[in-house]
Amino acid sequence: MHIRKYDAGYSRRQFMERTAKGVVAAGVLQPLWPLIANAQDTAKAYPEELRSLEAYTKGKVKEGDVIDASNVDIVKDLFDPIAYIQIKEMGRRVRVAPVTTDITKLYNTKYLEATVRNAGKAKFDATGNVVTQDGNRWIGGNPFPEARTGIEVYANLTLSWGRNDQAFYAVRDWDISPSGNVAYQYDFCWVEENISGLVNDPNKPYVEDGFEDMLRFQSVFFTAPNDVKGTSFLSNWMYDQTKFPDLFGYLPAFKRERRFPTNQRFEPLVPGITLFLSDAWHAGDPMLTWGNYKVIETKPHLGVTGGNWHGDRPNWEPEVHGGPKGQTFYEYNVEFIPEVIVVESEPTGYPRAPVGKRRTYVDVRNMMSVGCNTYDRRGQLWKTVDAAFGRYEKGDLSVKDGNGEVVWSVQAVMCHDIQTNRMSRFYLADEIPGGYRCEWNEGSLYERYLTIQAIRRLGST
Amino acid sequence: MQNTPFRIARWIMANRLVTLGAAIALTVFFGLGLRNVELRTIFSDLLPADHPYVQTFKDHPNFGNPLTVTVMIKRKDGDIYNIETLNKVWNMTRDVDLAPAVDHDQVLSITTEKARYAEATPEGIDVQPIMGDHPPRDRADVDEFRRRVEMSPNARAFLISHDGTATIITATFIERLLDYGEVFQYMQALVERERDADHEVYMAGQPALTGWVYHYQHQMLWIFGITLLALVLSLAVYMRNVIGVVVPLAASAVAAVWGFGFVGWLGLPIEPLIMVVPLLHVARSFSHCVQFIERYCEVLHHVKDRRKAAEISLGVMMVPGTLGIVTDAIGLCLIAVAPIPVMERLAIFCGFWAFMLVPANVFLAPLLLSWLPVPRNILKITGRAGDHGVHVMIRDMLRGLSTWTFGRRARFTTAAVVLVAAFSLYQTMHIKIGNPVEGSNLLYDTSEFNVAVAKINDHFPGLNTLEIVLEAKDPVNPKRVARQAHTIETMARIEYFLEKQPVPPVATLSFADYLPEANRLFAGGNPKWLPLERDDASVGAAVGALMFGTSPKAFLHVTDFEQQNGTISLWYKDNTQATVDQAIAQARAAVDLVGADHPDFRVRLATGTIALQQSINDAVEHYHWIILGLLNLAMFVCCALAYRSIVAGLLLLIPVNLSNYFLSAVMVEMGIGLDVNSLPITAIGIGVGIDYGIYLLSRICEEFQGHRQYDSAILASVATTGKAIFFTASIMLLGILPWYFLSELKFLADMGLLLVMVMLINMIIALIVVPLLVWLVKPRFMARDDLIVGESVDLSAYVTDDNELKALAAH
Repeated sequence: MHIRKYDAGYSRRQFMERTAKGVVAAGVLQPLWPLIANAQDTAKAYPEELRSLEAYTKGKVKEGDVIDASNVDIVKDLFDPIAYIQIKEMGRRVRVAPVTTDITKLYNTKYLEATVRNAGKAKFDATGNVVTQDGNRWIGGNPFPEARTGIEVYANLTLSWGRNDQAFYAVRDWDISPSGNVAYQYDFCWVEENISGLVNDPNKPYVEDGFEDMLRFQSVFFTAPNDVKGTSFLSNWMYDQTKFPDLFGYLPAFKRERRFPTNQRFEPLVPGITLFLSDAWHAGDPMLTWGNYKVIETKPHLGVTGGNWHGDRPNWEPEVHGGPKGQTFYEYNVEFIPEVIVVESEPTGYPRAPVGKRRTYVDVRNMMSVGCNTYDRRGQLWKTVDAAFGRYEKGDLSVKDGNGEVVWSVQAVMCHDIQTNRMSRFYLADEIPGGYRCEWNEGSLYERYLTIQAIRRLGST
Repeated sequence: MQNTPFRIARWIMANRLVTLGAAIALTVFFGLGLRNVELRTIFSDLLPADHPYVQTFKDHPNFGNPLTVTVMIKRKDGDIYNIETLNKVWNMTRDVDLAPAVDHDQVLSITTEKARYAEATPEGIDVQPIMGDHPPRDRADVDEFRRRVEMSPNARAFLISHDGTATIITATFIERLLDYGEVFQYMQALVERERDADHEVYMAGQPALTGWVYHYQHQMLWIFGITLLALVLSLAVYMRNVIGVVVPLAASAVAAVWGFGFVGWLGLPIEPLIMVVPLLHVARSFSHCVQFIERYCEVLHHVKDRRKAAEISLGVMMVPGTLGIVTDAIGLCLIAVAPIPVMERLAIFCGFWAFMLVPANVFLAPLLLSWLPVPRNILKITGRAGDHGVHVMIRDMLRGLSTWTFGRRARFTTAAVVLVAAFSLYQTMHIKIGNPVEGSNLLYDTSEFNVAVAKINDHFPGLNTLEIVLEAKDPVNPKRVARQAHTIETMARIEYFLEKQPVPPVATLSFADYLPEANRLFAGGNPKWLPLERDDASVGAAVGALMFGTSPKAFLHVTDFEQQNGTISLWYKDNTQATVDQAIAQARAAVDLVGADHPDFRVRLATGTIALQQSINDAVEHYHWIILGLLNLAMFVCCALAYRSIVAGLLLLIPVNLSNYFLSAVMVEMGIGLDVNSLPITAIGIGVGIDYGIYLLSRICEEFQGHRQYDSAILASVATTGKAIFFTASIMLLGILPWYFLSELKFLADMGLLLVMVMLINMIIALIVVPLLVWLVKPRFMARDDLIVGESVDLSAYVTDDNELKALAAH
């Protein structure tokens, strides 16, 4: 006979008690971080009911099941509010994948190594920026792997967006109208290179060469359709998170760049896309231009932690479903996450922001966001950015980065404005028009893609 | 041997409980439908669905800004370039962004980051919001703001008035989430809060208009209550007995439950704007019951037995009662001929309710009468209680009137009627179509909404637009039609043509207007780059520059989200018929110039307030006469069949048409044009008029059967049935008149006024012209003994006896 040591409500009571006391501590039975740091099974930190969806729902929903409108109410508390509405009312469905217990599958390998290596070395300086104990810029990995406050959680999300030192994403995007039709379709490249907090080489946490005040460079350039081909944006992020990034745009037809207002973060880059700059990576703005960070609750969650790379499908394209024309949503594989921290923050540095607050759901195991809902200033749900991260491997197929490691990166994103019911969904493709392909940690991208001269050159080809 | 009505009457009275049980079962069934009854205004349902302009509007609902609220802030003692006003605009804009269902991407004012100015600098094009991250704090900030406004042509044209004293905030709402009542409440509270000694604030736009209509719904309920009370009081005063109040109330309530329950089951929303018509049904139901009760009392006076009196009354009144109601109902159903959804729903709702007055008034009323106690004032009601009292007074007045319809005096009356008819026909030829006001015809000129529209029109291009739509043939054309050079060129040609007209629009705007400035800026800022090359590459580049880092929502007023369809907006100074006619003529000429059909798109006329106003006027003009013709045909067929006489059909049609023309003449004199209200008024007017005629003619027939003298039959009929007609018309006037005086909704007040006029005219003409025609024509069908109204029944037992007639004649 199997005797359960902790009854079914134990973890729920624990989470509620912690929320009431304002305590944030990953792990229910024991602290989570030591298990991660010592490469032990993270499941030990949680009672049985938090080890699988089947146990949590007492067998009502289990791995392999599809969650749709017919059964979503059983697990309503495991979704963010917009995901629940999508499933309940808009025809979205998700498939329940097995829980990942191997922590190395939840990280880019180098990033995990840096996180473990540098644990305990981060602090906030007087300006609120993350520095090492001796006051230097951050040196890589999650600065606060045992984050206990909202701002610590956001430091983990903001300082390294994609958790790779260099990344080149070849993206295919579809923008779906309320009627379910494709209103716009774009192919573009998203390029980013970190300048601080590098992880590939433990001895080189920074790109020097006069970039001491920089955090990262990032650009977007469109390759199709023809009317936007060559249109590009360049964003230079300061290390100081109180400063707005410089934002330049380039129009090939005029061979002229345009400087955007630095705080114009709540507009789409090109017509039809619902994703604002502010929405990118759930942390699209410098973290100190937002404020009032607070942890709302800790709870179990259903979210993407892997299993959404479709290397066996043509051009890696995920299947679509739902919405009026059956093409509004990607079908995600979601996993039962024993514990997420829900962080709320407000755009205090943007006096004209239409956003009232955002709530971000962060997996405590890898400190990666598994979802984010924004609310308008009336407190009404507005948008979700639902990103799928994970390893690029499926069966015998895999993609490796410049370090020879299997890539761990973003795979697909759905950005849904549920007020106007416009959806932008995009995924990382094997190849997009123009012959561009994804690559990770293959060396510096700066000269090729991340300067004004580079975006001019890209526009003229 | 008895005729069919009497056999039915006998069966009903023999099976009273069964009949009552059936009525109760029906009431329960329809009562359950009441749960689904919904009062809701759908503005597009006020438009004629088959009109090409309305089809254009429905195909392109985003053009003409139907979901946009415009708020104008006007500085009373100077211009807006001061700290206080600009702070007010900033705060209001932020508060507008908090409105329920607002599309946060579509809130625009001089303080939002979408209002930008651009400068070409050595580093490239620097585009910044006109206002910084905060409203001006000192004079230097204000001066800098002013400098930036000067560098933003669009802000100068559309966001700040020419005299600099006013600015506007526009907000577009998401239709799927929009609750007009909630939005209006929020926005109106904001507008009222921000008015002060130095600032006036005005709000316009379709959501605001809908909000005002919803606002007045509460008032409507009050008027409804007052009217019902007045009707019940008048019943009590007139009848002064239990049956006179209980029977009309019970029968009318049952019919109302059936009528409302029916639309509840059908799931059709009821348009609050036509609620005066259901109230008219209540009044009609009262009047039918009063006619019935008066007849019942007369019969009861003779037969002294409640059940027998109810049975005989039912037998006698069944055909004229049913005929009167059915003609009413057919009239209402014919309103559906006009393909205006609100009229179609009115026809279904009110037509059904009207038909249900047959079982409720004709059959249920006698049932109730057979159970209820005998009234003590039966002699008063029948005018037999001596020469005093209101009933006798009315009877005497009508008797006096009737003497002008027969004998020698009839010649003068005939001459007068011919003169009135000639005058009415002549005047009808001059009736105009439409009643244009600045803003909405649903509200008075002095209403807050219409004043706001007028003020906004004074300071900005305004709200009276005509939209010429360039519609993509392939809605998913990969080249995006609104971005193609030929489309942009066509837009520009139409605008250029119209601006060159002798009386051009106040302003024109299309997607093409935005491109030269974008082109100039990205080409380096020199004005020489304003003109666009006429090729897809150049136009595409300019569009790319314009849309760079911008949502297509910012241009939804000129092109759709997918940038396939575009519109050319033309603003006009007012919406008088002369302006509307000229605008549409000019637009037609412009379309002729460029051609309607192009390889990738077609040019469609038209949408916008001016086009939609014209579509209603066209429908009214067209269907008014069709409905009138069909009504005449239907009434003629019904009456000719009922009386088995073509002459009877004609005899009844003449007075109702005369009434209708006379109403038109009165409208011409009062300066009222035919509009969407006129369609139901015509149908209701003719239905009511024919009803009076049928009651009176039937009574004349009955009296003729007894007296065999036309003059005696007329005298007796006008004094008896005429009295009931007089009372029922009065009671309906009482039911409708409060709407004219109390309703702040002009639509309802106008409809109330027209209904009052149509009732009054029909009553007078029925009481004069029907007897006059009978006297002049002396129709032979009245002498027949096979009339359905008197067939095989010995009516002489309860017609006015000879002594009473002599007494009447002596007065």
